[in-house]
Amino acid sequence: MQLAQETEVAAGPPDLTAKQSWRSVKSGIMTSLMIASVVAIAAPLIAVVWAVLTRGASVAFHDFPDFFIKDVPNIARRPGGGMGPAIMGTLMVTGAATAIAVPLGVLGAVYLHEYGGKNNFSRLVRFMSTVMSGVPSIVMGLFIYIVWTLHFGYSAFGGALALACLMLPVVIGATEQMLRLVPNHLREASYALGTSKSRTISTVVLPAALPGIVSGSLLAVARAAGETAPLLFAVGAANEYNPHLFQEANTALSIQIFGNATSSFVAAQDRAWGAALTLVLVTFLATLAARVFTARIARKR
Amino acid sequence: MQELDLRGNKAYLDRAFRWSAAGAAALVLLILGLIAVTITGRSLPVFHEMGLKFFTTTRWSPPDALFGALPFIWGTAFTALIALVIAVPISLGMALFMTQVAPPAIRRPMVYMIDLLAGVPSVVFGLWGVLVLSQHFGLGRSFLTAGIILAIMIIPIITSLSREVIETTPPGDKEGALALGCTRWEMIGAAVVPHSAGGLVGAVMLGLGRAMGETIAAALVIGSALGQLTLHPLSPGNSMPAVIANEWGEADTLHKSALIALAVTLFVITIVVNLIATAIVQRSMRRAQGL
Amino acid sequence: MSKSSILTWALAVVGLGLTAPRLASAAGTTLNGSGSTLSKPYQEVAIEEFKKSHKDLTINYGGGGSGKGRQDLADMVVDFAGSDSPYKEADMVKIKGGEVLYFPILLGPITVSFNVTGVDKLNLSPETIAKIFQRDIKKWNDKAIAAENAGAKLPDEDIVVAHRADGSGTTQNFTEYLNGAAKGVWKLKSGSTVEWPADTQAGQGNGGVAQIVKSTKGAVGYVDLSDAKASGLKFASVKNQAGKFVDPTTAAASAAGDGIEVKPNLLFSALNAKGDKSYPITCQTWVIVYARQTDKAKAEALKAYLKFLVKDGQKLLSEIDYAPLPRSLGDKALKQLEKIQVK
Repeated sequence: MQLAQETEVAAGPPDLTAKQSWRSVKSGIMTSLMIASVVAIAAPLIAVVWAVLTRGASVAFHDFPDFFIKDVPNIARRPGGGMGPAIMGTLMVTGAATAIAVPLGVLGAVYLHEYGGKNNFSRLVRFMSTVMSGVPSIVMGLFIYIVWTLHFGYSAFGGALALACLMLPVVIGATEQMLRLVPNHLREASYALGTSKSRTISTVVLPAALPGIVSGSLLAVARAAGETAPLLFAVGAANEYNPHLFQEANTALSIQIFGNATSSFVAAQDRAWGAALTLVLVTFLATLAARVFTARIARKR
Repeated sequence: MQELDLRGNKAYLDRAFRWSAAGAAALVLLILGLIAVTITGRSLPVFHEMGLKFFTTTRWSPPDALFGALPFIWGTAFTALIALVIAVPISLGMALFMTQVAPPAIRRPMVYMIDLLAGVPSVVFGLWGVLVLSQHFGLGRSFLTAGIILAIMIIPIITSLSREVIETTPPGDKEGALALGCTRWEMIGAAVVPHSAGGLVGAVMLGLGRAMGETIAAALVIGSALGQLTLHPLSPGNSMPAVIANEWGEADTLHKSALIALAVTLFVITIVVNLIATAIVQRSMRRAQGL
Repeated sequence: MSKSSILTWALAVVGLGLTAPRLASAAGTTLNGSGSTLSKPYQEVAIEEFKKSHKDLTINYGGGGSGKGRQDLADMVVDFAGSDSPYKEADMVKIKGGEVLYFPILLGPITVSFNVTGVDKLNLSPETIAKIFQRDIKKWNDKAIAAENAGAKLPDEDIVVAHRADGSGTTQNFTEYLNGAAKGVWKLKSGSTVEWPADTQAGQGNGGVAQIVKSTKGAVGYVDLSDAKASGLKFASVKNQAGKFVDPTTAAASAAGDGIEVKPNLLFSALNAKGDKSYPITCQTWVIVYARQTDKAKAEALKAYLKFLVKDGQKLLSEIDYAPLPRSLGDKALKQLEKIQVK
């Protein structure tokens, strides 16, 4: 082994006044390569953030708050207009998806950790949850198209269903992790007082795990807000405000960005950058909020 | 003993809670099962028409009812491969830097940087790719451009997971190596790598799974060319999810069935890769904690 | 989270679901359409203008290609489809809602747009176009192109062919034109999707192809005039049946529309028209709807919108670089409106 070789050759303590040996040069090269990889990550990140900020801000904050309120212009080649309907669409679809996925995911994780433990059903569900988190989002989109859009048409709710399916395994995983961290003595103390299991879970365990659950859910929300493929098959294409969840086609920031990215009109491309900035801000805020909750858990401990 | 709590609530509420929780858990099975059944069912017509030639032929011509998916399967694999070639050295380098070299003060902003990268939605990367990246360096719309975008998107996953795996290296091994006079790099080679190798492979495979399933960013920059069974990275190409996204709108029943068959293929491949990867990572973590 | 708050969550979701449909019925009618991107610019300005007198109506036109429009209408997920080509015989069985009516709305020239360094004008014959798009000619300074462009400085640049990735009526018409005008030379046949050669690029919608041509050196693609002009593209003068090289203009498209033969169901083709001044790649497009409508409010809205498209909206066309329908055709279309019945 390498180690043995080195100890045989370097007899005695290292001579600090000797010339740089190949070994330390190699180590230095490797360290610089590692630093180079950091740069390689920082470079595209900075490039993308810079592009979104510069190109998007000039569009999005021009005559603030126009961009965030105005309708998407029907005439794609005309500059101006805004992403108001898309912002509302993203909030509606993501909000509805969260309202579906979080309660169901938390309940499911509660079963897995508090009731199921290691029985076969729970092992199967955990395994399938991992499988489900690997389903490509376009497959989810096709699925929702077949079972929902074909029967009920395009709507924000169809998109919410697709996103909820994507969020569910993430919420289950994060919640189970948090439940595992709740010390058992809390549960035992509650049982000792004669409280039923369900009441213990809802009044003792879940509140204790809440910051972590919120944090994990916010991360799932942030990811869902940026999803495009499932929405293309479920939400449709609208340019005006549509505040109805179940009726008629709607739109979302990710759909607008995707549609405008393939446009040859500068006006449409500008709106895409503005929408990208808005979307990045939304996901960034959600991620930031998640971090705040994680910090709260750390503080509690 | 009767199941009554102090407040005198009935036992059935307790049981109802348990059953609804079980139901919620079972939803995962239900949805996954539905997905599998519906998409497999709808893909059957094209297999009836083409049999296994679906996977082996290269001509994709919906008007002639000819569906050869080989170039798209190749395209998915090729772009994922390019993405890995770019992402793996960078991610591992970054993970090693963060765990072995960087002082804690630098480590925190790096974690934020990785999280920031992970938080950017894929459609924004696609936008940047098609309007900015493809205009420079002669990249255009090609396998390479798609590979670069995918690489940027999978770096956070591989880096975070690699970091977790590397951090399980027993400090004793590392200190021992250093005490024997190893340089930092030699220590990494002697103590960290052998210990984490399995987990790192798993992390890379998870990145691979993510790269293959990514639709939108790739669809925007890959060029949407047909029949490209080539090794030339700068030529325009196609991938399974990009084809589905592009051709779904107007597909008739047989064509839709072919696109769904592509989705099934993609589904199966990504599931298999993800499962193997998760198994490897879990085993390596368990072994690390058991030691 | 206590049991009571879980209950509140559930009630909120259910409540949202129950109230939403009621909220919707107060909003007014919505018409959804999808399909041809060649006519999308007209749909856009028409919707804007039409809404000024119909404020409670919402009309969404999603584009997506003629193939998508026809498929969506057949599946009954939209109320009207824009399509540059009619349903194929074989596809008629898939139409779920019964008889369909074709309403022509405009004539649009399809340009052969290019991005060649140092070249502003190009003359191309159908045979050369065919050879370029099927990759028999691979460089811009090829003899065949030079022969038709005496005096032009053609660079030694690779030709990058851009076409449609989605099922497109523009593709259908473009390839049908080549089938007819470049007989014997054009090998790829005709259809909304065609087997393009391997090393070509594809874009979504006319806009996607325009984007590829605009941003790629040496690119050539077929784009409708409206989008090509608005994107600042340069396009070729094409040789028509009379042997003249004609620019794609609305006047040349109207000239092409002069001699068309219209069938009783208002189907016709303006491609490869005779006449010195006709632009040979002039495309026509229809809005397709079901004759039998089930919702009274929607049927009324549809008829009003179609009437606008065919009559009062026609004056909007020239500004966005389309040619209006010949008068007799417009009248026939108006008469066909009566066939839309609510059952």
